[in-house]
Amino acid sequence: MTREAQHVIEVENLTKRYGDLLAVNDISFTVSRGEVFAFLGANGAGKTTTVEIIETIRTPTSGKVRLLGMDVTKKKRDLVHRIGVLPQGFNSFDRITVRETLQYYSRLFCRRNADVDGLIAMADLKDKTQEQFMNLSGGLKQRLGIAVALVNDPEVVFLDEPTTGLDPRARRGVWKVLLGLKNKGKTIFLTTHYMEEAESLADRVAIISKGKIVAIDSPGNLTENNANYMVLTLQSVDERTFGIIREVGFEPVHDNHRNIKVRVERSDDVRKILNAIQAGGATFIGLDVRKPNLEEVFLRLTGEALHEEPAGESGTE
Amino acid sequence: MNPRVVIANLVVSIKSFYREKTAVFFRIAFPVLLILVFGTIFMDKDNMSFDLCVQDLDGTKASEQLVETIEHSGRFKLTTIAPTINATQYAKDHKTNLLISIPEGFEKSMMQRLTLDDPDASVTFTVVYDPSSNAASTKMQALDLVIAAMNQEISGKPPFIRSVKTSILAHKYRFIEFFVPGIIAMTVMTSSLFGAVNVNAELRQKGVIRKLSTTPITRTDWILSNILYQFILAVLSTIVILLVSYAVFNVSLQINAWLSIFVVLDVFAFVGLGMILTRVANDAESAAAAANAFMFPMMFLSGTFFPVEMMPGFLQKLARILPLYYVNEGLRASMVSSDNLAALKYAAVIGIFAAVVFVLGIMTTTLSENAT
Repeated sequence: MTREAQHVIEVENLTKRYGDLLAVNDISFTVSRGEVFAFLGANGAGKTTTVEIIETIRTPTSGKVRLLGMDVTKKKRDLVHRIGVLPQGFNSFDRITVRETLQYYSRLFCRRNADVDGLIAMADLKDKTQEQFMNLSGGLKQRLGIAVALVNDPEVVFLDEPTTGLDPRARRGVWKVLLGLKNKGKTIFLTTHYMEEAESLADRVAIISKGKIVAIDSPGNLTENNANYMVLTLQSVDERTFGIIREVGFEPVHDNHRNIKVRVERSDDVRKILNAIQAGGATFIGLDVRKPNLEEVFLRLTGEALHEEPAGESGTE
Repeated sequence: MNPRVVIANLVVSIKSFYREKTAVFFRIAFPVLLILVFGTIFMDKDNMSFDLCVQDLDGTKASEQLVETIEHSGRFKLTTIAPTINATQYAKDHKTNLLISIPEGFEKSMMQRLTLDDPDASVTFTVVYDPSSNAASTKMQALDLVIAAMNQEISGKPPFIRSVKTSILAHKYRFIEFFVPGIIAMTVMTSSLFGAVNVNAELRQKGVIRKLSTTPITRTDWILSNILYQFILAVLSTIVILLVSYAVFNVSLQINAWLSIFVVLDVFAFVGLGMILTRVANDAESAAAAANAFMFPMMFLSGTFFPVEMMPGFLQKLARILPLYYVNEGLRASMVSSDNLAALKYAAVIGIFAAVVFVLGIMTTTLSENAT
């Protein structure tokens, strides 16, 4: 198997500066064919700069980036035919309809036989084919953007923040489309700051903070290797429960729903807490014990919180 | 360069144009409205007659004949006021900018001059006028001409100096025929300048250019399709302006190859300028503001609406450094006076300007993000 067949993206010691600002700081990683690779980071972490360098839009300050076996700084004209790109905040010509937009981009790629109807169906836009772009909601625009990214049947698809700014319903609509792409075996490079998106879609996740990759692995391994503890959640209306847990040497906290959360290292600790509550005559309504999720791993590794963008516009969904 | 890509881009631009009603209005309907409004206002400018108030204090046969003579000169529409009214007060009350009062004893003095040949016999008309009115001074010049002709006739001698007028034009042209070439030049300028600014700045700001940079479209494809689009709009607006001018005002203009040459040069010059402004400005709003800063002085100072010769000397010098002046004058040289040599001279100046700014525009236009 050739190196290109193994790794469709190879990034080696990539650095990008904007004047004094170091946007990307000496990062290296590879993405394999058929893999869904997520770049997870807070706003301004360097995700978009990295993806735009790989997409051939920007040039690196230093380092090497090979896409489909070619140097991105030298083979832009060859590469654009083989990749599909959904830029951050996809926009198109306001007065052009959904169908015309897809036909336009097909013509730019000289794809006379592009399956425009198939792309419309894939993006679930059958009812909107004659709608002008300016009249689409945020979610529909993003779905159209994904369809546009596929007009040239690309080998690698880059999706930069595909659901940022969308309301939860629209976001799930986009995820459905992305899962369809994943099932077709497309290589997908996804940048996001939504944990749930990365967890549910990605085969591997790279966590980027302040231009540096701080961890890179599958979502399961990331949580397994970076958070070897459990969280016990108790639903309790009994005021004594909180004090009893503290008395047996643990540090309980209240969450937003007044549930009690306790970090425990072993399953024996859970038993110890439950026994103490029972012995103290306190009560609880329900309990839950689970491994921490990717968000807690992210917080632990980067010390940064991931901020939600404002919900997207509402329109003719 | 890929013709299919150029055509695809052109089709999108044209569809976007005709679906945007305000764009259609400002690029097609607005110049037509200007033609209709200004053409109607100045329709009878060459045969214009002025309002004039006359007060006859003499009330004799001779003074009546004088009033008739003024009326028959064809320069004035007369309003007579009663001898009992105070002329100055009447002019103030009725906002009258010119009033002439024939004094008592007019007939008697005229008889003395005509029958007794008394050189001291004369009359003095009182002229009441509003010095703040531009029209008053024009009327007074016309009135002086009528009075001079009457004095000449009373003297009984033929004039010593006579003049014969020879027009440099084949026939007398009307204001509308001066105006139409200016409107064509201005419309092509505004649509090319703002077309280039809107297409490049707005689409860049919205991120559409960034998306396009990940497709096979090249800078050449992009610029060529935009130029073709602007040229189609320029031809369309020029045809509409000419059709309306011929249909409504029956204009007499020469339509020849120079018209196409000046329209093409107009498009290249101002699309080039628009591309440069787009690159220099930070965002779409700044680019539009910069385009306005260029457009307005050119609209009003380069002889679009009135001849440059009417402006003060320093503004005339300023007009000659504005590119639109050369399009205006070139179009008039070819369409009005059929002066090919003058048209060639103006075409050379605007041609050099167009070549320089268009090359600079191409150099500054890029589809990629910062390539640092």
